[in-house]
Order: sequence, then C-alpha cells, then structure tokens
Amino acid sequence: MDPGKFLLFAVGGLSLAAYLFIVTAGLSLVFGALRVINMAHGSLYMIAAFVTVVVANQIGVAAGFFVGLLVAILAAGAVGAVIEVIVLRRVYNQEHLVQLLGTYAVALIISGLVRLIWGANYRTMPEPSLFSGTISLFGYSYARYNLFMIAAALVIGAAVYLMLYRTGLGRNIRAAVADSQLLSTTGVNVKLLFTTVFVIGAGLAGLGGVIVAPSQAVGSTMDSDILVLAFAISVIGGLGSIVGSLVGSLIVGEVISFGLANPATNAFALAFVFLIMVAVLTVRPWGLFGTPEMQ
Amino acid sequence: MIRLSKALALVAAAVLFVAACGGNGTGSATTTFKGTKKVGISLPLTGQSNLYGHAKSQALRLAAEDINAKGGVNGYKIEMDVIDDGTTVPKAVDNVNQLILQDQVIAMMGSVTSGQCAAQTPIVKQNKIVYIDSTCNSYQLTLEPDLLNPYWVSIVPNTYMEGTSAGAEAAKLGAKKIFIVSPNYLFGTSETNAFVAALTKKNPNVTFNDKSTWYVPFPTNPRWDSTINAIQAFQPDLVYSNIFSQDQVNFVKQALAVDPNFFTKYQMVTLSSIDDFNALGPQYPQGMHVYMRAPFFQLSNSKLDAWVSEYKTKYNEYPSDWALMDTDALNLWAQAANKAGTFDSDKVMSQILGKSFSSLRGYNFTVRTQDHQANVGETIGTTTDSAGKYPFVVLKDSSNLKGDDIMMSTTLMQEMLDGKCEKGGDPKTANFALCPSWK
Repeated sequence: MDPGKFLLFAVGGLSLAAYLFIVTAGLSLVFGALRVINMAHGSLYMIAAFVTVVVANQIGVAAGFFVGLLVAILAAGAVGAVIEVIVLRRVYNQEHLVQLLGTYAVALIISGLVRLIWGANYRTMPEPSLFSGTISLFGYSYARYNLFMIAAALVIGAAVYLMLYRTGLGRNIRAAVADSQLLSTTGVNVKLLFTTVFVIGAGLAGLGGVIVAPSQAVGSTMDSDILVLAFAISVIGGLGSIVGSLVGSLIVGEVISFGLANPATNAFALAFVFLIMVAVLTVRPWGLFGTPEMQ
Repeated sequence: MIRLSKALALVAAAVLFVAACGGNGTGSATTTFKGTKKVGISLPLTGQSNLYGHAKSQALRLAAEDINAKGGVNGYKIEMDVIDDGTTVPKAVDNVNQLILQDQVIAMMGSVTSGQCAAQTPIVKQNKIVYIDSTCNSYQLTLEPDLLNPYWVSIVPNTYMEGTSAGAEAAKLGAKKIFIVSPNYLFGTSETNAFVAALTKKNPNVTFNDKSTWYVPFPTNPRWDSTINAIQAFQPDLVYSNIFSQDQVNFVKQALAVDPNFFTKYQMVTLSSIDDFNALGPQYPQGMHVYMRAPFFQLSNSKLDAWVSEYKTKYNEYPSDWALMDTDALNLWAQAANKAGTFDSDKVMSQILGKSFSSLRGYNFTVRTQDHQANVGETIGTTTDSAGKYPFVVLKDSSNLKGDDIMMSTTLMQEMLDGKCEKGGDPKTANFALCPSWK
C-alpha cells in the first residue's frame, strides 16, 4: 500500500473513530460516575440530531447549525434531567439488569415519540459552509467535515478529561464513584451531583447528535444504529473510562477501515472487532483503561 | 296534540339516529358487510427499512379503504393486520406465524427484505396462504427448489430483471472498470450476480474491484468512509450499487462531502426509489443513472394521477414506489378473490396464474404460470432537477422497460428448475449465468 493510500484509509479510520467517540463519550462518562449503562443514550443523541436538522432547515444551515447546537444540547440535557429524576433515581441501587431494562424502556418510549413527532422519513441537512469543502492530499480527496469531526472528538475528549481531573465537580464525581455515602457526609448534595453528571452525559449525547446530523441521514433508527459498536468500544476501552472510549474508538475505527480496504480481510473486518473484544474480555475483563468494579 | 308531538319527536329522533349512523343513502355508506376478513403483513416499521414499511402500511390501509368503499371482497370488509418486524428475519418469522395461526388472516402481502421473504415462504406454503409479494424480489424466491411455493406471487421486478437491466445500462455507458458495492444478503448477491452476468456478456473485458470487497454488512453502520476511500483508491469508470434506503442516503451524502464532483468523476448506476430521492431532496446528485421499480412521476396516467392525489391528500407526502406496488398487490388479490367468489387459496390462485390485472402503472400485467412472476416493468433514467414540480429530483432520458423484455426467458427458467445451471450438480451453486442457454 503506497503512502497516499495508507493515509487515505488511516484518515478514514480516524473519521469513523471520531464519529464513534463523539456518540459514546457521554455513555462512558455516565457509566464511570453513576455505574449505570444508559440504553437511552442513543435516544438523546437522536433527539438532538432531529432538532438540529429541523432548526437548520427552518432558519438556514449557516445559522441553523449553531442555533441547533445550543437548542439541541439544551433539549437533550433537559430530557436527560427528566430521565434521571423519574427513572434512574429509582434504580441506582438495583442490579445492572434492572437499570438496563429501565433505560431500555425509556429508549423505546422516546423512539416511538420521535416517530410520532417527526415521522418515518429520513431528514438531511447540508454541512455548514464553515466546515464544508474538501482538502486534496497525495491525489485523494478528504472531506473537511470529517476533519472537523476528528478535531471535535479530540476537543470533547480533552474537555471531559479536564472536567473530571481538573475541576471541583470532577473531584466530586470521582469521589462519588469511590464512595457516594462517604461523600454525602462532607455536605455534598449527591443527588444533585448525580443529576448534574447525567445531564452532562445527555448534553454530550446531544452534542454528538448535532455534530453527526449534517453527515448522515437523520431517522428514527439512528439511536440503535451504532449500539453494537458502542458496546464493543466500551468493552475494549473499559466502560467508564473516557480515555478508554477514545482508544477503543480508535482501535475499532482503524480495524474496520483497514480491514475493509484489504480484499483478504474484507469479509472479516467486523469480526476482527469482536475478536479483539473477546480477547480483552478474556485477559482484562474491565477493559484496557477501565477499573475493576468493587463488590 | 301532545301525542302527535311525541310521535313527531320520535320520528325526528329516529331520523337523526339514522343520519348519525351514516344512513345518507349513498352507495358506499350503506354497504352492509357479511363480516370482516383480515389480510396480514409483517413489515419493518422500525429498523433499517422502516421507511419502506411506513409507505407500505399507509398504502395498504388506503387500498383496503378503497376496496371496502366498493363493497369489499366477496361481501366482506377487508382489514389490514399490520405487524412490525424491526427489519429482522426472526421477528418476520414470528409475525407470519402469529398472523396465520392467531389472527387467522386469509391472505398475506409481502414483507420487505428477501431474507425475510425467504424465511416466511415455507410457513405460508405449509398453511396454504396466498402471498402477494411486491417488494422483496430475489429471483430465487420463485425459482429455487427449496423456496418454491404454489401460493407465492411476485408483482415486483425481480433481481434478474433489475440486475440485467442495470448491467445493460452499464454496458451502454461503455464502462470498463467497475466498482461494486452491495448489501451482503440474498437480495444483494442475487442482483449483483445478475448485473455482472449481463454486463460481462455484453463486454467480456470489463474488470471489477476484488469480489471479496463487493459486499458490505447489512444492516451496516452509518459511516461509509471505507467504501468511499476504496472507490477513490480504485479509480473506477463506474460505480454500481444496489444499496438502498438509509445506506444509500448516507453513502451519497458522505461521498459528496469528500468530493462534490464524486458522482461526476465516478459515474454511478444504482437502484433507487422515491424515498431515497425524498430523503436527500435537492442534495441527490443529478446525472446518476438509476433504475427504479415504480416512480409515479414517470408512469403518469389518469388512474395513477388520481391515486397519487388521493394518497398525498391523506398522508401529506408523495407515494413511494413501494406504496404504488403494494396498492397493486392488494388490488390484485381482491380482484382474484372476487372472481373466485371465495377465499379458498387454491381457487384464488387459479384466478391469478396466467391472468391479467390492471395496474396503477398504466398497463395490465400478467402473472406467469411457470414461476408466478408478473411481467411488470422497470424504469431506468438519469436524475435531473424537477424544476420545482417536486421537492426531489426526477428522471430525464428515461425509459419504462417492458416486463416482457426483461423477464427471464422460459427456457432459462426451465434450465434452472431442471438443475442444468449448477457447478458439479450442487444445487447451492445454481446460477442462471451457468445455464446452457445463457452462454
């Protein structure tokens, strides 16, 4: 493979990884802090994508994308707050299966509501002109929007990392992960802290929806489109670790990109992802960057 | 006087009651039915192909209303029994069992993907339920010995008809180096094989991307970076695809982001539908060579135009190809059952096979006795701006290919059925391109 082609497929893998990380970053944050696998995470991402497309198609793409960015993140955050208060508070102390079922029920309800409100038809919007256009390198063309997505993924990763490790809120979140009861004795309102974390996670899902909306068909199935890959990433990187999500996305993106590019491995590209997942589960069940859950 | 007033009041009340019950004396409203019969369909209202399921369910409900307004079928009101299969095969199988055994449907309309239809056909056959297929279209459904079903009827152009039409179009365009992208399941492999066979028959020197890279997982993830990059790396004269729905929309969108002239640089022959046009609106590239099953704007006739108007009024959207074909499907079954004077599947089938039916498509089609395939046509053309007439692209330089011209010949079909088109006598290798008459 010549350097030009190598770069082409490497950047293709990065684009896929960026997309996967943007969509799954919030999922990882919520699990890390609350120990809840949020099956409705994709629903929040879908709501944000719909809101963005609707706003952009109403007021024009140029302003619509940025207005959508604000409205969609607020909408996803607000829905997230409602889910946390009404559903999650009742299942925090339950086993994971109950949490899974609870959030899955929420996902089904939101999916039905989305179909009722926006219908079954796919909606699309162009990329905002600021990020549209192409770049040519070694004879191959690259979408500027894909490069924007890669940059956005890095910024999101860095922002979440800094929030967790360089702020008071992050310190409280990490303390709550270790022992929420002990934290509450220090005067921290743990209930409010959990709601805040979930709203941030929902906002990240919303941000993912906004960023992804101009690059694909927005429809009522996008909540479940990447569920399988999202969980593969979480298992490989370590559920709850933001660095793990980033590395997991990178591994999955590049394995799929180079796997599909090579005729000898094309048919097994996706299988490789799950082989890696099985290997990680066998050797390090808590993932590459995760921590074993304390009993 | 008081008694008279009471009597008048009673009469007035009775008149009001009758009026409220719809007794206005018009033909349709006074129809009294012997009862209600259910016609079933399992379709994807969720999952990858939910858009098609949405159109099909709307069209079938409207068609049932229209049939009932004309007196129903054999004096019975027809009710559509619609169940979601989430675009999965296992649920499609569960649904068909439920529809037949629990809901006791008297006939079924076809599901969406060929994988679902192939899984449903043995159950339908076992229970002797007439199944009118208007979307899933692998030719194996009516020719592969394991799948043969005396109660199966196909009124959609099958993969042989579509694939060979697309192959002829690609040959006409003079392409020498082709990149193929297709969904990895029965429909994709069947249609792609037909495309390759037809193209290489006309142009034996044509080359393709490595066969192992032709197929993408179905359903796949929404990112098409790998395929788009592989096309850039391969530098083909032409891209052939039969990816559809969400996959096609995502592929086209992401390819245009990589290069606004992507589809000029790499001309494309692809399956498409009004749903795909509609989803991308003005972003759908012009100059794409598309083949379509039943685009209403291309088949305009008075009957179709009236139905399009009715459909748009009711649902506030233009009908897709699937909506049109499903309307034809239910009407075909209703006409046959009325002629048979019974719902008995054998008697209804005897009114279908070899018989001619009027279609919204503006012509009559006949269901061939040998393979139960109707001689329905395919539309082929190049996308162009609709000049404001529709919120999506339309076709130019188009032609409505006649079913009789693109159907598998009876000789070829017989060779397939006789096992003359297999490698080393292995039925799993059956392919029309191996038949003596194809060569």
